[in-house]
Amino acid sequence: MSKYLSFRDVVFKDRRLLLAALADLGYTVVEEGQALPLFGYQGDRRPETAEIVIRRNFVGAASNDLGLARTDQGYVPIISEYDLRVLHGGHFLPKLRTAYSEHVIEEVRKRLHGTTRRTVEGTVVKIKVRF
Amino acid sequence: MAEIEFTIDPATGQLEVHVKGMRGPACQDVAKLVEALVGKPAVDRNTSEYFLKPRVHPQIQPKRSQ
Repeated sequence: MSKYLSFRDVVFKDRRLLLAALADLGYTVVEEGQALPLFGYQGDRRPETAEIVIRRNFVGAASNDLGLARTDQGYVPIISEYDLRVLHGGHFLPKLRTAYSEHVIEEVRKRLHGTTRRTVEGTVVKIKVRF
Repeated sequence: MAEIEFTIDPATGQLEVHVKGMRGPACQDVAKLVEALVGKPAVDRNTSEYFLKPRVHPQIQPKRSQ
């Protein structure tokens, strides 16, 4: 082995791959813009803004808007405590990160003109890109 | 053949990346490609293979007798 990298922060660097990951989770209708307002489940405007927004009517009956705010590090999720607890059985962020990583790997494979091999070892998924 | 091994933990979404089979700083280019898509890693460690120098065998021509 020559290098080891571990990514722990919940941040999404690439907009296109993030939108693809959101679509994988069923969120195909998104708003994009600059500092878009976010609304709560009662229609109340929240103090935060975001550059990518999934409106609450596309999230769930009692949900709030889901936002992804652009920062220098990438897009960071803005999600209410309620939605964090209930969306996708409380696994919204792990599922979004997993879907995003899958798109990252496919992008790396394409750019390196490589091949992939996928295995499941215990609870983790290993994907090898050879080039 | 070089290889990148991605490990995803679906329970947390955490991603780990091992770049294998590349000696020296050549693997930095691959790491930069991953970082451009994922961001700065919390852990970035060069493993033993990184420090191996590529082997170069000089070709020495035998002297010709005149």
